Amino acid sequence: MLKEYEAALVEKKLLGTGNILLTFACADIAKMAEPGQFVNVSCSLFLKRPFGICTVDPIGNTFSIGVKEVGAGTQDILTASVGDVFSILGPLGHGFSFDGVKKIIAVGGGTGIYPLYFALDKAKRKGIPAICVNGFRSRQDAFFLSECEELSGKTIFASDAGDLGVKGTVMDALELLQPEDLADATVLVVGPEIMMKKVSAWANQHKLSCQVSLEKRMACGFGICLVCVCKIKSDAENMPFHHVRCCKEGPVFQASEVIW
Amino acid sequence: MVDLSVRVGSVDFANPVILASGACGFGRELSEYVDMSTIGGICSKGLTLLPREGNPGCRVAETASGMLNSVGLQNPGLEAFLQHELPFMTGLGTRIIVNVAGHSTNDYQKMVERLGAPETPVDVLELNLSCPNVTEGCMTIGATAEGVYTLVNAVRSLTDKPLWVKLTPNVTSISETAHAAQDAGGDAVVLINTLLGLAIDIKTRRPVLQNNTGGLSGPAIKPVALRMVQECYRLISIPIIGVGGIMNAADVIEFMLAGASAVEIGTASLLHPAACAKIIYDLTEYAEDNRLAALSSLTGELKLW
Repeated sequence: MLKEYEAALVEKKLLGTGNILLTFACADIAKMAEPGQFVNVSCSLFLKRPFGICTVDPIGNTFSIGVKEVGAGTQDILTASVGDVFSILGPLGHGFSFDGVKKIIAVGGGTGIYPLYFALDKAKRKGIPAICVNGFRSRQDAFFLSECEELSGKTIFASDAGDLGVKGTVMDALELLQPEDLADATVLVVGPEIMMKKVSAWANQHKLSCQVSLEKRMACGFGICLVCVCKIKSDAENMPFHHVRCCKEGPVFQASEVIW
Repeated sequence: MVDLSVRVGSVDFANPVILASGACGFGRELSEYVDMSTIGGICSKGLTLLPREGNPGCRVAETASGMLNSVGLQNPGLEAFLQHELPFMTGLGTRIIVNVAGHSTNDYQKMVERLGAPETPVDVLELNLSCPNVTEGCMTIGATAEGVYTLVNAVRSLTDKPLWVKLTPNVTSISETAHAAQDAGGDAVVLINTLLGLAIDIKTRRPVLQNNTGGLSGPAIKPVALRMVQECYRLISIPIIGVGGIMNAADVIEFMLAGASAVEIGTASLLHPAACAKIIYDLTEYAEDNRLAALSSLTGELKLW
């Protein structure tokens, strides 16, 4: 049987501007989680809030999520103190598929870096070479720089301000990749929807398999309420699309299936 | 040993806790968290004759003590339900209620004929005359006593199975629509579906929900639901199933005191998948602590001032 966990916050670590890494004690989630999966975390508001899992420590029995304040729910979660206990469901959903993956190009923007960090960690453990492309607003906002470099054979950063890596977005950074970088690569993208759409088109243009992690407003997080659906291409006659649960069949989908 | 069993018309339930339509799918996901054979019953997601993809865009808005949804009856349709979902549900070892929705009287008739056939392994049909998120059928029928009477009357003779009528609170007089359900041969009324509501994003100056409006559920609506159950209990003679913001055993007891024979748990399952199991456990404890021989003796015991 699956269960809802009462998990204590054991560490709070400030990363870049407004980004905080929260570590929780929960042996089951630490042992079961796969990159791209998420947890649904209680707050003082009515609904839980979903966050992609960033790291797991199956020996220390902890896992972490990266949180940035975007509203009242995240604000509440970020005011918690070490020792506070949260009600948590997880690991939830389908994460990244590593079946037949020979190399990954992880493309992240904003908080998308958190689940990609977990994917890069898994790739490293499986001996799969990785390239990491991350976009930030500025150097001040950036985090996980050395961590990404450590896990990837090649790392390219982009910043809107131009004070870190390439000036511009991840799209500008992707242009710097060489043909040998692209050979046999699978692209994993997590970030704002417009970025994922553009990176998907880029991957398609280079005939690369691409997985995207979609984000929708959720309620239950485990598939019963049907509020978080995504539009996915359909083979059925007279039906151009299906509404598929982001929390259950996703959040990671093959980019080629997604109707943006 | 405390007797938690309840009787709704001709159907016995092991306990009064039933999973509400739209908040448990067909039981697959919750069965990973809860031994479903311990639950009183399960009511399917609202079904329509043909598959529906539901409403586009954002379908949820959080509110104070509740949430708005505008799913719009996304469901696999009658045939896929009979082939894939009903066999799974019959394996759960609990009472099966199927929520029947439709665009027209004809839709409801066809579905009641199929689902209400003696050989179909369904215990109860719940007529959905109350979903607020579709433009035809459902709440548009259930908005008036005449609409309720006509629809229930049109399907009553098509099945011998119990027909529960799930009513909308978005009416001037709930006892009038409940009366109409009773007069047309309904075996019980389910009170209440969601309250129609609106949430606004002040940055975009648009409704949060792409359907503009949605159905409000959760503890925010419990007082309204309780009042409606209590009002109808005094004025009709068929059983009432109470639903609306039930989060714990104390809420169940309130609904039973107000006149409910059984209850449905909806939004609570979204927050805590095992909420129903905890509620049943706590009901047992309550009954023991209060030396109740039978939980069902609580129904309608509210003493008004």
